[in-house]
Amino acid sequence: MSATTAEAEAPRRPGLLARLLRDPAAAGALIFTLLLLAAAALAPWLAPTDPLDNNLALSMQPPGSPGLPLGADAQGRDMVTRMLFGLRASLLMGFSATLAGGVVGVLLGFLAAFYQRWLDGPIMRLMDMMLSFPAILVGLAIAAIFGPGLSSVVLALAIATVPLMARIARGSALVTMRLDYIEAARAIGMTDARLIWRHLAPNCLSAIFVFTTLRFGQVILLGSALSFLGLGAQPPTAELGAMASEGRNFLFFAPHIAVIPCIGIFAIVLAFNLLGDALRDALDPRLRF
Amino acid sequence: MSAPLLEVEGLARHWAVKGGTVRAVDGVSFALGRGETLALVGESGCGKSTTARLALRLIEPTAGRVRIDGTDITGLSGGAMRRMRRQAQIIFQDPYASLNPRLTVGEAIAEPLIVHGIGDAASRAARVRELLGLVGLAAWQAGRFPHEFSGGQRQRIGIARALAVQPALIICDEPVSALDVSIQAQVVNLLKDLQARLGLAYLFIAHDLAVVKHMADRVAVMYLGRIMEVADKRSLFANPRHPYTRALLSAIPQPDPRRRGMVKPLGGDVPSPLNPPPGCRFHTRCPHAEAICREVEPPDVEVAPGHRSACHFAAALPPVEALAGEGLSPIAARRLALFAERKPTQSAPSTLT
Repeated sequence: MSATTAEAEAPRRPGLLARLLRDPAAAGALIFTLLLLAAAALAPWLAPTDPLDNNLALSMQPPGSPGLPLGADAQGRDMVTRMLFGLRASLLMGFSATLAGGVVGVLLGFLAAFYQRWLDGPIMRLMDMMLSFPAILVGLAIAAIFGPGLSSVVLALAIATVPLMARIARGSALVTMRLDYIEAARAIGMTDARLIWRHLAPNCLSAIFVFTTLRFGQVILLGSALSFLGLGAQPPTAELGAMASEGRNFLFFAPHIAVIPCIGIFAIVLAFNLLGDALRDALDPRLRF
Repeated sequence: MSAPLLEVEGLARHWAVKGGTVRAVDGVSFALGRGETLALVGESGCGKSTTARLALRLIEPTAGRVRIDGTDITGLSGGAMRRMRRQAQIIFQDPYASLNPRLTVGEAIAEPLIVHGIGDAASRAARVRELLGLVGLAAWQAGRFPHEFSGGQRQRIGIARALAVQPALIICDEPVSALDVSIQAQVVNLLKDLQARLGLAYLFIAHDLAVVKHMADRVAVMYLGRIMEVADKRSLFANPRHPYTRALLSAIPQPDPRRRGMVKPLGGDVPSPLNPPPGCRFHTRCPHAEAICREVEPPDVEVAPGHRSACHFAAALPPVEALAGEGLSPIAARRLALFAERKPTQSAPSTLT
């Protein structure tokens, strides 16, 4: 018993990966996520053609046609190429929005928890206000100001992510702040910045990490929705949501043009959700046996 | 006599809650000289730990003064306060919560040195090895993480961290009450040993009278945020002049059936600090309470040199033949003997425990 509790407190213990891989769904999600990331990173080298190379003779070729395993879209562009670049754009968008929103949100959450007396009220009420706007509405507003495009989507999604991250960070910081080692750090006489950076933040990271993984899936989904609505990536840029939107017009003649990007979105979101759940289980000592 | 190392005067901390004010600490004064150990004892919730944190300004006091080495720290600005923290450090009760799980032992002990800009990387590493040796751990253990150690070892790591900046005062907030009895002996003896070697002063918070008897030079008894009685250890245990101290001493388990029932245990619960009783705070449970106790707060009177008691009848209390021996039950006495027995093995650094 004591061995397991001791192990539970081990932050850099080996075996987090091993525990992740023990759960088949988690192992699948992890491997699939890594494959997606590799495919997105290597898109320019893996893709058989240029994503903008169109050949109207091949327009709407179904999957399995010679040389086109996933068929071609309305412009006769290779769907394999489009998917690889679409994946790249979507993941990049999700990554930058989650990162930007996460950094700002976590910082605000830590400040709210650390200077609870002065900052908790103002910061968290601001977060509540931000939470009351749906992400789509924020996206519309940003697109109206800066014009549609991937960077507008990233900005909108980052803004929508900030309050969620702030809540998670504040919650876990409030718990950690009660521990004696924070008081010991104060008694040593270190500056608040050092205390937050070296003692508070590292011990709140697992909750934040898990939530980030889950949020990443949601951000991709929201980003695709914004692109589908025409607020995000503009044609001819390959992006999964925008590709689904373009394919919508041909749903009855060439369903693969819309369905394949949708399957892609579905797979990314599912993989990140499974990974997030598995990480939460693997990082939570109470769920281990 | 030179100025005391730690001087606390009228210290108070009130918390505003729904329906009133909790007076966790309500006017506590004491002084602690260099190399001295003052034990602060009392029931759970009487404000001992709050007093400890107030003395280090980990909690801001509502009223009162704290002087460390003559400097009033209650008014110090951020930077001056941080520098002052070199003088006084703290050891915590729970050795599992008091070490950051993400720092190696070496990093944790070096942290105070880095913060105060002491030495370079090489000299800090040497100092960490020295400190580990001082608390009986091996130098190679610096690279290990806290979870790889037992409770007693972790407590010693906490002590090493507190010693890093060479403080004159260490506040021990129930440093052994979370440990097994045999490990308690090691840690208590280590603390005594360090005091002898380094001339440390301890403010030693405890509720275990056997440990207090072993550690303390003087004892202060707290009840509901006030100090009821202060005296040097010998006269407090032999001749307590406050009914609450007597009740505490008699509450030590008494295994001899012939002695049972000779002292009445305290009835009732500690009143809420939200609304402390008027007059003497202890009158609701005091066997000697009279009309005056319900109305007039007793003054803090010196009943003997260095022995102060806040009781109207401090001088009139009957003698204490009912209290077993020196106020220690055989069980407590056996534990004291165990502490003493363990002592010779203490100074040799052991890595087995």
